[in-house]
Amino acid sequence: MGMPITHIMTSGMSGIRAAGDLVARMEMSKSMRVGDAKNYVAKKLGVSTLDLSDEYVMRDLREELGIGVITSVAGAPKGIAAKMNIEKLLDLKINCCEKFRQKIR
Amino acid sequence: MSKEETFKMLSDAIVSCKKDAVEAAVQKAKNEGIAPAEIIEKGLAAGMNTVGIMFERGKLFLPHVMMAAGAMEAGVKILEADMPKDAAKKKLAVIVNGTVEGDVHDIGKSIVSTMLQSSGFEVHDLGRDVPLQDFIDKVKETGASMVGMSALMTTTLPGQREVIEMLKEQGLRDKVKVMVGGAPATQNWADKIGADCYAENASEAVARAKELLL
Amino acid sequence: MATEHMLRMGDGKRIFLTKEKILADLKDGMADAVDLGEIPELSGDELDKLLDIIIMPARMVGVEPGMEVPVTHDIGTIRLDGDQGNSGVGIPSSRLVGCMMHERAFGADTMELGHIDYSFKPVKPVIAQEMQTMEVCQQNMVIPLLYGAMPNMGLYYTPDGPFENPGDLMKAFKIREAQESMEHAAKHLTRDIVWIMQRMMASGADGVNFDTIGAAGDGDLYASLHAIESLRKQYPDMYIEAGMAGELVLGLHGEMAYNGTVLAGLWPHQQAPLVAKAGANLFGPVVNTNTSRSFAWNLGRAVTFIKAAVKASPIPCHVNMGMGVGGIPMLETPPIDAVSRASKAMVEVAGVDGI
Repeated sequence: MGMPITHIMTSGMSGIRAAGDLVARMEMSKSMRVGDAKNYVAKKLGVSTLDLSDEYVMRDLREELGIGVITSVAGAPKGIAAKMNIEKLLDLKINCCEKFRQKIR
Repeated sequence: MSKEETFKMLSDAIVSCKKDAVEAAVQKAKNEGIAPAEIIEKGLAAGMNTVGIMFERGKLFLPHVMMAAGAMEAGVKILEADMPKDAAKKKLAVIVNGTVEGDVHDIGKSIVSTMLQSSGFEVHDLGRDVPLQDFIDKVKETGASMVGMSALMTTTLPGQREVIEMLKEQGLRDKVKVMVGGAPATQNWADKIGADCYAENASEAVARAKELLL
Repeated sequence: MATEHMLRMGDGKRIFLTKEKILADLKDGMADAVDLGEIPELSGDELDKLLDIIIMPARMVGVEPGMEVPVTHDIGTIRLDGDQGNSGVGIPSSRLVGCMMHERAFGADTMELGHIDYSFKPVKPVIAQEMQTMEVCQQNMVIPLLYGAMPNMGLYYTPDGPFENPGDLMKAFKIREAQESMEHAAKHLTRDIVWIMQRMMASGADGVNFDTIGAAGDGDLYASLHAIESLRKQYPDMYIEAGMAGELVLGLHGEMAYNGTVLAGLWPHQQAPLVAKAGANLFGPVVNTNTSRSFAWNLGRAVTFIKAAVKASPIPCHVNMGMGVGGIPMLETPPIDAVSRASKAMVEVAGVDGI
């Protein structure tokens, strides 16, 4: 509580509650600085960078796009299914999705 | 050359970490008639102090510290003949150092041992994961006047308090100073357990040891 | 009588200082960083901003809307199922549950899978367990999941490892032998890291988090940089996060170099370009907290160092902000008021890309 939760509450983008995981993926996969990563993701989602941490905007958008939602919605893409949709959205490859595809006969 | 300039020359020679530079500087100081004890304390030891600070600042590295210490030994050897018997070999004090039982962290504690040794202390480094009684036994065996204990985990930190209690129980507490260190240790912790001092890093450890023992 | 504001010491103890004293401490801390790192000072506006952050009356503060950043993690799920030694809270739970809790209950932007004996060397004998756990977690999670561990080169020295302890060799004035021991250990460490991560990538990991690079000195950093380089060549799309152990690379060897730069004595702004050159995507700089100084002193110092690192780094910087680093007090239950203020300061003044 004193550490990760405090940081997330103070400064964090709150992950799949909003678009934090997507911005993190762009930082990590393409070494984008946070501003560039936010611009990239915002453009792909068709929102403003301010909206990327806005639960009001992101909750429904994530469900529509099938990229994983924070509350457990029965039937909504989860896990690798959600990540495959993220691959298409962000135009990148995700390792576990590649491995998944390789296992399909 | 004034005395102050000579002391600076000696100190600079130590900081150069070069044995022949130190030997030359010591010879020069000797020829100027400066007392051996002053050459060591105000010249060479002062230089070792600077070496310690430069190590903490990332300007010198551990091999340099050892080379400087080796150069200092060589310099002191030149003065042996002019000092009372065994005075040159005399160490400032004896210190037992180690990482407490259950804790396998080694690096910081080893650096502290190295720096204390380079500064003229006789250091008995017990290593890491040291059974607590071993600290007491070594103090008795060597007649140490200080015991230093490192702990890098909150779970092993209480070992430092236990050793202090054991020193009291075995009638040694008044004879031995206690220094604690390691990432989770703080001045507050040292005060709480009745340690004599806390050191944030190796340079501080040397400074605290000198304050308490000399 | 002048108003006094509540803040903390570096060990977490609550203190009260006037605005003037807080500002003086901020400047003193900054001056220490400037002196050590030979880096620029913060501007007057930046110092004022830090002062404002510290004296805000609320328990928790927050970044301005729009300035939020991703928060990456280390230590895996050990903070949940681990013991006091890792500031763990001892909830018996599987690592899958722990990872999903971070994703779905805590709002983490990324997560890390780690082993209870959180170094690379001990992972080798239990690699199959790590691989299957990674597979299961990846099937259930959405956020990036890295595999994390500490290089911890000290495990390669006697009695834990095959090479003679360089600390003991140094004390015996066997300098060259000590250096050789470190060189051998570094080669083994690089080899082990690469071997482990090849298997984790085969299990679907998004990448690797190196936690506490440099804990065993410049050799540890040398080994990690070579591991990063090797992994980057094999896996062009791998996420590689490289977090440091301390603010200064300790020169235990003194001569090990990477890309022509001697590693000993490097400060965060000097570490960043090398880590990027090796092929990492994310750099995690560290500034150590001095427990005998005030939070203001520590924050001024940390922000000055990190701002310089952010500027020098060609890759995103996620400042290390745990117990005793990044301006945060050294306490296993860090005060929320201090953590929150340090977090905001790093985003809004140091300009970090994440935490």
